[in-house]
Amino acid sequence: MLKRLLAEDGVMAVCQFRDDGELVEGYGMGDEAMLQRLAHFAHDYKRLVQGNADQLAMFTQMSGWTPPGAWLVKGPVWAVCGLSNLVCVVDLRETGLNTIMQGLQDAASW
Amino acid sequence: MSLIHELTKLPGVMAAGEYAYRGDRFNYEGHLSEEMARMASIMCRSTTMALHMQVDMLTQLGKDCGCSPAQGWLVSGEKYTVVVRANYFCFIDNSANNLNAIVKYINEHVDTQTGELV
Amino acid sequence: MADLEKIMQLKGALAAFEFSDSGELVKSNIKDEQKINDDILDLLCHVCVANGAIATMQARGWEKVTDMTGFYPIKGFSLMGFEWTVIVNQHSGVIVANDDVDFDKAYAVLEG
Repeated sequence: MLKRLLAEDGVMAVCQFRDDGELVEGYGMGDEAMLQRLAHFAHDYKRLVQGNADQLAMFTQMSGWTPPGAWLVKGPVWAVCGLSNLVCVVDLRETGLNTIMQGLQDAASW
Repeated sequence: MSLIHELTKLPGVMAAGEYAYRGDRFNYEGHLSEEMARMASIMCRSTTMALHMQVDMLTQLGKDCGCSPAQGWLVSGEKYTVVVRANYFCFIDNSANNLNAIVKYINEHVDTQTGELV
Repeated sequence: MADLEKIMQLKGALAAFEFSDSGELVKSNIKDEQKINDDILDLLCHVCVANGAIATMQARGWEKVTDMTGFYPIKGFSLMGFEWTVIVNQHSGVIVANDDVDFDKAYAVLEG
């Protein structure tokens, strides 16, 4: 399923990571060490977003924010998208975010 | 006596506490309500996690900058300061002018962090 | 504007710096470029700005929920590392060896 996601236009790398941040499976640009770093980053960033979302819910008393479903960080050319224990690096010149988020959703529920 | 109890005896310390990295427990003493202490635990834990991530990334991106593994952090507002080392937090009244002594006490009584948030 | 020369006179100071709202390094004064360089400082400034922003969000929320005011606006942030501590106030900061850290003095000097 990860390989199918990688086959989407604009997807440059895709990883699945364990709950402790270690790489389970990864494909795409860069060597194994690069994919491991991507997995670690995604794991840490997921926790960061979770922590901030918890605080938003705590301060606003507004439900519906936690647990966060997915996150994405968008630059001018690249984006990093995460959902569940999956993360992918995307070239925005070649694809749209909707397609990628749907692809991640499909891969996560596979 | 527990570190938390000893911390609350230092001049300027309004409250001190500890939280579990897993986020399911906290313990505190001092002038905070139970709900405030719970929120403080959530906030301190979240910032500690974020900081560890950032320091790890900093180390990976540059050469070792002397800050890894992160030992703690401190944030200061107009009237109050929060100091955190490992899973201990301390709320401080700035008017006591005792920040150095409080940080020194925490540093001396909380083990050096290895980077594992357990 | 921060007086980096003055900041560097703090005991144990390894580098003094100034950064923009978004964390880019604007100015630096480094004691030993073998240990610290502008690239590291730039990243460190971004870390400080990121945590300042998180702390500002927390202070805002905390004050609204508890009515305990005195945190907002956040002025300073410090990271106590393994060997060195970075102390930041507004847009300037200093890196000090852990054994020499004097927070009160550092904040006073950074305040200008």
